[in-house]
Amino acid sequence: MRVLDKKLLRTLWWSRGQSLAVAAVVLCGTACYIAIASAHSNLELTRSTYYAHYRFADFEIMLERAPLTSVFRLESLPGVRQVRGRIVEDVNVDLEGADEPRIGRIVSMPNRQEHVINDICLLEGRYFSEGNPNEVILSKRFAEANRLVLGDRIEASIDNKKHSLRIVGIALSPEYVYMIRSVQELVPNSERFGILWVPQEFAETALDMKEACNNIVGSVEDPEQLDAILERAEDMLKPYGVFAKVKGEDQISNRFISDEIKGLEVMAKIIPALFQGIAALVLLVLLNRMVRKERTEIGLLKAYGYSSLAVAFHYVKYALALSIAGSLAGFAVGQWLANGMIRMYVEFYDFPLLRSRVYFDILARSMAIGIGFSLLGALFAALRAMRIRPAESMRPEAPRYAHRTLLERVPALWRRLSFTWKMIGRNMSRNAFRSSLNAFGVMISSGILIMGFFSLDAMDYMLEFQFEVAQREDVKVSFQIERGKDALYEAARFDHVRYAEPLLQYPFEVRSEWRKKDVVVIGVPRGARLQRLINAKQEPVDVGATGLTLSDRLARDLGVGVGDTLTLKPLMGRITKERTLVVSQIVEQYLGSSAYMDFDALSRLLDEPFAANAVLLRVERGMERDLSRHLKDVPGVAAVEIKADSLKGLQDTIEMSAQISNTMNIVFAAVIAFAVIYNITAVSLAERQRELASLRVLGFTTQEVGRILYHENFALCIVGLILGIPFGAGICRLLVNAYDNELYRLPFHLDTGTFVTATVLSFFFVVLANLAVRRQIRKLDMVEVLKERE
Amino acid sequence: MTAQGLSIAGAAPKAVFRVEGVKKDYRMGEVTVSALREVTLEVYEGEFLVILGPSGSGKSTLLNIIGGIDTASEGRVWFRDDELSAYGESQLTQYRRHHIGFVFQFYNLMPNLTAEENVEMATEISRNPLPAREALRLVDLTERGAHFPSQLSGGEQQRVAIARAVAKQPEILLCDEPTGALDFTTGKIVLDVLNEINRSLGTTVIVITHNASIGDMAHRVVRMMDGHVRDITVNAKRKTASELDW
Repeated sequence: MRVLDKKLLRTLWWSRGQSLAVAAVVLCGTACYIAIASAHSNLELTRSTYYAHYRFADFEIMLERAPLTSVFRLESLPGVRQVRGRIVEDVNVDLEGADEPRIGRIVSMPNRQEHVINDICLLEGRYFSEGNPNEVILSKRFAEANRLVLGDRIEASIDNKKHSLRIVGIALSPEYVYMIRSVQELVPNSERFGILWVPQEFAETALDMKEACNNIVGSVEDPEQLDAILERAEDMLKPYGVFAKVKGEDQISNRFISDEIKGLEVMAKIIPALFQGIAALVLLVLLNRMVRKERTEIGLLKAYGYSSLAVAFHYVKYALALSIAGSLAGFAVGQWLANGMIRMYVEFYDFPLLRSRVYFDILARSMAIGIGFSLLGALFAALRAMRIRPAESMRPEAPRYAHRTLLERVPALWRRLSFTWKMIGRNMSRNAFRSSLNAFGVMISSGILIMGFFSLDAMDYMLEFQFEVAQREDVKVSFQIERGKDALYEAARFDHVRYAEPLLQYPFEVRSEWRKKDVVVIGVPRGARLQRLINAKQEPVDVGATGLTLSDRLARDLGVGVGDTLTLKPLMGRITKERTLVVSQIVEQYLGSSAYMDFDALSRLLDEPFAANAVLLRVERGMERDLSRHLKDVPGVAAVEIKADSLKGLQDTIEMSAQISNTMNIVFAAVIAFAVIYNITAVSLAERQRELASLRVLGFTTQEVGRILYHENFALCIVGLILGIPFGAGICRLLVNAYDNELYRLPFHLDTGTFVTATVLSFFFVVLANLAVRRQIRKLDMVEVLKERE
Repeated sequence: MTAQGLSIAGAAPKAVFRVEGVKKDYRMGEVTVSALREVTLEVYEGEFLVILGPSGSGKSTLLNIIGGIDTASEGRVWFRDDELSAYGESQLTQYRRHHIGFVFQFYNLMPNLTAEENVEMATEISRNPLPAREALRLVDLTERGAHFPSQLSGGEQQRVAIARAVAKQPEILLCDEPTGALDFTTGKIVLDVLNEINRSLGTTVIVITHNASIGDMAHRVVRMMDGHVRDITVNAKRKTASELDW
């Protein structure tokens, strides 16, 4: 081994605390990159393979009822590749021993297995057998969560009739990778919602849809043409009540996966750069100090005939060694994290082939990023080492002049400072770069913390808004068709019901000039107590006798404000007349994007005096289950939802995933803060050893000497927090903008607790770094100080 | 040895330090080096003591042990009635803080602080300090108080260091080669300051040096060699700093 390399190894060993801290930052950067980039590649690859293999539809059209012949006509449209008409309907499912309602979505499949659009991936059992229409293939998680196995029977209530279905298969579908019933559910609840794939023959009979369908899925030759094709398809299907056209990219399950993939892509760009950038900055400080300290040695080496390049490379190697060591350890941790992420995704997403893989290109890229940044960090020190001339190096370096700080311009204040603070003040201004880096470390670290806590804050806020402030019912009962006033009275008369309110949901095409959107308009009675509208000031507002209330997202999409006029065209039923309405107010809505109007006015729009397709109920405490057991057998009831159950499941799931990601965020923030503060303090301590040891000789305690360093770190931590809090809030603002689509958007809401926790944790990280240097302060050698100058 | 040579006439000499059979060994890797072989010595209240010896004679080690920044391997050291050699780390810190003033060869001022602030640093931790300006006046540096160490000459820096040591009003001033880094003239100014402090404040001053002529200004001179006290002489007549020559 060359002598210089031996020196390198010793330097690494002697400064092992600092070396480790730098390597740890590189490790985190590498690990994050590998985990995120692998998850990204994995999800994307898995999705595209899955979609291709099982022919995920490019579009879906939901309609009232269309003859199957119209589907064939659709297929002949230019640009359309393949079309399938099917029957889709949510029904109540009875399971033995279960008192909560379960909702099964009936999705019809060809009687005999074919390669169709939105095909299913059979995991267990078999496809339907001929002549046995009462067979069902269940979605995997629903079967698992309810402990249903092949051969079991389930009862589905369809149109007031109970059908007993035998489970012949367990399957997955590209359409339900993220299995939620509607966007309001936000996260899957596999126990309460599942898919029932049934033979076309059965669906046609049970739902009275002979030779008809209510859902068309299809694929196109060229995705660019999709909009035009959907326009034409809608024209063609107009007589059959088209109430929603969904492009593949807007399909609920796909949208959630896309957002996740997009999020990973953004993070894969930012996170590693952040860590590696910090590592580079810390290396810069470390190596600069090293070159300054080893000035004489460098001169000596050059005097002996080592080239400047060889000497400079010596310091570059130090950076490279740490970076490579950090990267290699990062590979292992990253792969482990990647496995963890995939396991988490498996919790949420139903892919048949999602498993952890090693991506060598990602490993190589992460190594390259790490090395690139470490070279950048070493560059400055290497150049400095190259410039040192042997003759000069033997002379001591010119003393660095202390200069007065800004604070001294205010003598009244300066005089009041203790000498500790005077030293701190001068030291900060003397080492402005290091001090800024220290504060920068805290800023990034607290920013990461705030960003992490934000997701939980926003979710909590969203849930509270949705389920406590806006929706105040205990139970929601949906009907199969619109019902008159008697249904409301009937519901109100059930045992345990304290209060009932009608609701009417009806799809319209809402138009403003050239902009149009398919929207569910919700009819809410005036003075509604259970379905409340909340404006931007967080105050409940009344729906008003006339006019249309829009969610803010919808108002933005349509480019309208209060006072503008909109044209509403019903998408269902026999009503075809268009109406013009004025936008009366804009309200907040985080889940979905709807329009609201007076219940009576909406009923009249449908030419009915009173039309409800759901009632919201307030129920005596703890009686929801009892009520739902009665209700599910009542004719005409399509679904019964207990709000507390949905909320509970949602909270649990969110809590769980937030805990995982917050733990990771805290670890990352800690590593960044610690590595930066510890290294800078250690460098500062090394530089000021003589000064601080002589304080010890003069009778200062270790604590008092330490305070000079500790308090400086605390002061810089405060500066870092002052910058970090707006920085963190800024990132959250970016996230809010990034996750703003028709399905959901995040509220920009940060709890005070988040700031408090971020502040407390930041101080805690500083304390950790201070504790780490305390040992070195204790070891300050007083006898050495009295000897020769270094 | 008697205290007859002390200028505090009439008073019975009281020992501030009693050093009894002190040994100090350093382990340097595999080998053990004896810095002090067995030293017994008394230091009297209010005296100006010079410890002379070549480098390696153990004088610095002895000073460090008396000053409480190093500990003896064997033997006992008494500070008045307290056994210094039994002190723990924090007691030693308190001892240095309240009783000892250090003056180093290389001044060891805080580069970050002005002259006056360097003195304030010491006043902040002592019970009964001299005001910083007063201490600077003692070393005749009142008008340089706002300068940083890097803006002062070596002699000035050493005087700031003395002011810093004196500001705590210590009973003992320990000076390790205080003129070692200074030229002849400046050195004499510094020695004069030390003498003046011994005379006017009654502070016990111990100076260690290899410069034999400095011994002429002491009450007593301790000569050390190879970790032993070779001899102790009392100066019948002391020279002033300006009379010294080397």
